[in-house]
Amino acid sequence: MRHDRRGFLQQVVTGSAVLSFGGVVPLPLLASAARTRAERILVVVELQGGNDGLNTVIPAADPLYRRQRPAIGVPQSEVLSIADGMSFHPALRGFAELLEVGQLAVVQQVGYPQPNRSHFESMDIWHTCQRKDQQRPDGWLGRWAERVQGVGGDTRALHLGPEKLPFALMSRSVRVPSVRSLEEFRLRGAEDTQFREAVQNLAAATRAEQDDLLSFVATSTTSALTASERLATAAKAAATDVAWPQSGLAERLRTVSQLIRSGLQTSVYYVTLGGFDTHAQQPDAHRGLLRQLSEAVRALLSELQSSGDLQRTTVMAFSEFGRRVGENASAGTDHGTAGPMFLAGGAVRAGLHGQRPDLANLQDGDLQFSTDFREVYATVLERWLKVDSSDILVGRFQPLDLFSA
Amino acid sequence: MATELTAQELWQPFEPGRDGGWDLRAAAHLFRRAGFGADRQQLEAAVQKTPLQVVDDLLEGREPAEYSTEMQTLATAAISGGNVEPLSAWWVYRILSTPAQLLEKTVVFWHGHFATGADKVTEPQLMLTQNQLLRRLAFGDFHQLVQQISKDPAMLLYLDSASNRKAHPNENFARELMELFCLGEGQYTELDIRELARCFTGWEVRRGEYRFNRFQHDTASRSFLGASGVLSGEDAVQVVLQQPQTAEFLVGKLLRYFVLDEPAGQAELTAPLAQQFRDGGLQIRPLLRTMLSSRLFFSRRAVGRKLKSPVELALGLLRCLHGTTNTVELAQSLQQLGQGLLFPPSVKGWDGGRTWINSSTLLGRSNLMRRLITSENTRFGRLPLRDYLSARGLQKPADILAELELLLFAVPLPAAARDGLLSLMKSGSDTAVAEGLHALCTLPEFQLC
Repeated sequence: MRHDRRGFLQQVVTGSAVLSFGGVVPLPLLASAARTRAERILVVVELQGGNDGLNTVIPAADPLYRRQRPAIGVPQSEVLSIADGMSFHPALRGFAELLEVGQLAVVQQVGYPQPNRSHFESMDIWHTCQRKDQQRPDGWLGRWAERVQGVGGDTRALHLGPEKLPFALMSRSVRVPSVRSLEEFRLRGAEDTQFREAVQNLAAATRAEQDDLLSFVATSTTSALTASERLATAAKAAATDVAWPQSGLAERLRTVSQLIRSGLQTSVYYVTLGGFDTHAQQPDAHRGLLRQLSEAVRALLSELQSSGDLQRTTVMAFSEFGRRVGENASAGTDHGTAGPMFLAGGAVRAGLHGQRPDLANLQDGDLQFSTDFREVYATVLERWLKVDSSDILVGRFQPLDLFSA
Repeated sequence: MATELTAQELWQPFEPGRDGGWDLRAAAHLFRRAGFGADRQQLEAAVQKTPLQVVDDLLEGREPAEYSTEMQTLATAAISGGNVEPLSAWWVYRILSTPAQLLEKTVVFWHGHFATGADKVTEPQLMLTQNQLLRRLAFGDFHQLVQQISKDPAMLLYLDSASNRKAHPNENFARELMELFCLGEGQYTELDIRELARCFTGWEVRRGEYRFNRFQHDTASRSFLGASGVLSGEDAVQVVLQQPQTAEFLVGKLLRYFVLDEPAGQAELTAPLAQQFRDGGLQIRPLLRTMLSSRLFFSRRAVGRKLKSPVELALGLLRCLHGTTNTVELAQSLQQLGQGLLFPPSVKGWDGGRTWINSSTLLGRSNLMRRLITSENTRFGRLPLRDYLSARGLQKPADILAELELLLFAVPLPAAARDGLLSLMKSGSDTAVAEGLHALCTLPEFQLC
């Protein structure tokens, strides 16, 4: 095989000049669909890498906090005071405002027994509610989707983002679509009817052999083709005058807002914000991430408020673990345990919930959890999505008082 | 082949006749797995040899000196702008053009195993240095590979070990060395991590090179994984590598990469190979030789039992049809499909298997195939697609379909699909052939390898 070296060089030169990895370009959505609506919506925001909860919701006045974090502790003069001696990181101004208008609930010290400090294992535990030595073919939202499948024609859940489908959304029988961008979520060539129909028929053709891997790909292909046609014809939501910040998370939540407002009958949306694994030089990186989170969520809520969709929407943010209480020498923190979760929307009971972090009572240098994450999931399932939670969570967990009646 | 073979027997060499035919189809399977794919000429040459000879040729991994030199020149050009993206395109170009397919396929494996992301490292020279290290040791001694990767500047920066100081050790590298590189999760305690991290204190990067800073190195006695004493970082790596679990862990991962995605009874299946790997002193080449020439590898338990990665999908199409294309664009497309070379999603690399597949990636894969097939920049043997096929005597839709099925598919097309494809290609025009190939590449079967 001969290759053209000059051609490659040209590609490198011209390519690098125009290289850009743009995110979501909203597709001009086509026809207007009926405005039937999913009753209630959950938007999950996964904070990947282990968010440092102690520098997010901060016991700023606690001398033990100062002692453990001489270099990376947030100065008391900068924090945004909430209540009970607890404060927000200054980058969470958007969250502080949501708290003030009664749209944000903070659940402190969320975790689980015998915490695992591997990112991947701990994330899997949060996604499946099962430990490694247990069978875990699916995730909690995948199990939820199996139980509500068949209501309306739209997918029950949708993942938006460039990463692989989160384990939480995996199911044995339901294929949850994963959408990188609406622009890319279209089959090229499908404008030609003959081609589109041929491809659909090919995907749906009967396969002689019962091959598990092949039937997984075949059902996934069929579901992708269906979902892409539906999203392409979903109504184009009217533009609003909400000023969206410029960030990856904001772009994804903006697409979520567009789909919610267009009347797509999807109940669960899932997005991810990565980068929280702050082993070194934490303060700047963490500040940027928290700002991105808080401003994107605030923009989403404000847009949904103006469209009248806020009362039926709840945003839930979590991370696989918090970080070690004591800082390390790289101005960072290593993997820890419990941390805060956030619920935001028109129906939450705003304020601080759960016990505040007890820095005098650590275990191996780590915080001890006081609320099991499955109690928060049970709350969201039972009090918000209105389904029984015990099958989904593989156990009975007491819902908390996080929603107004 | 009878499925009742024992694990021992499954790893015996494949014998044509007893274990099935050694034909073009079997050779195509070997090249798809031990490389990215072969054209008809290569397949016809391969079946003239024994399967083991072909595997040994692939394991030679030798590139002509002039090819290596040219690649070095291109790499230097690619990094000259200070960005990593052109280097990612360079690697795609290398995968497309290399005469040593298995070597490159194995380098992609090691890149996923010792995953290091350019988004954090940012310095293209360091990414290139690591890439060359992986290529140099790809078939070699696993001890040496881990020892050298532990001091690799890109790795040191990626896992923050470059700022691992005596007073406050940073645990990131120590944890991943055990969890992801050698042992697997659950094979160590949190205390092991804390002790191990102290052995790497003082390992720094200075002006793009590894440097040992003895003032930041903790010289106290340590105890972890059953070893204790005053241990240097090199000693500590050795302690981890001596755990019997290392062989099991690595063999399991190579099994899923080269042979099948979802091994039932994996522990039993890997045991004989892990034993061989340990006894042979963790040498990689003989391990791959056994795997790729085994009865299991050529059996129905393995053929078509993997999902193609984006790299396998795109580069496979091109390599099987003498294709060339704009590799800068292709490298970007691969990133969008979840496999940006030099940009792994996390230190865990790529999970592979079913995680490659979701609605977005399926549509994205199909769209990429269309772009590749119809792009002005894509040539097949320097010709447009239809001319390339005509030059090989392939003009009738049925003949084209049969040839593409042989070259590109690990499993047979469903009978019901054949008619639909033939009717798409009926007119025989450029467009019809391109549409036919695009539809073919959108089939669920095309995702299998």
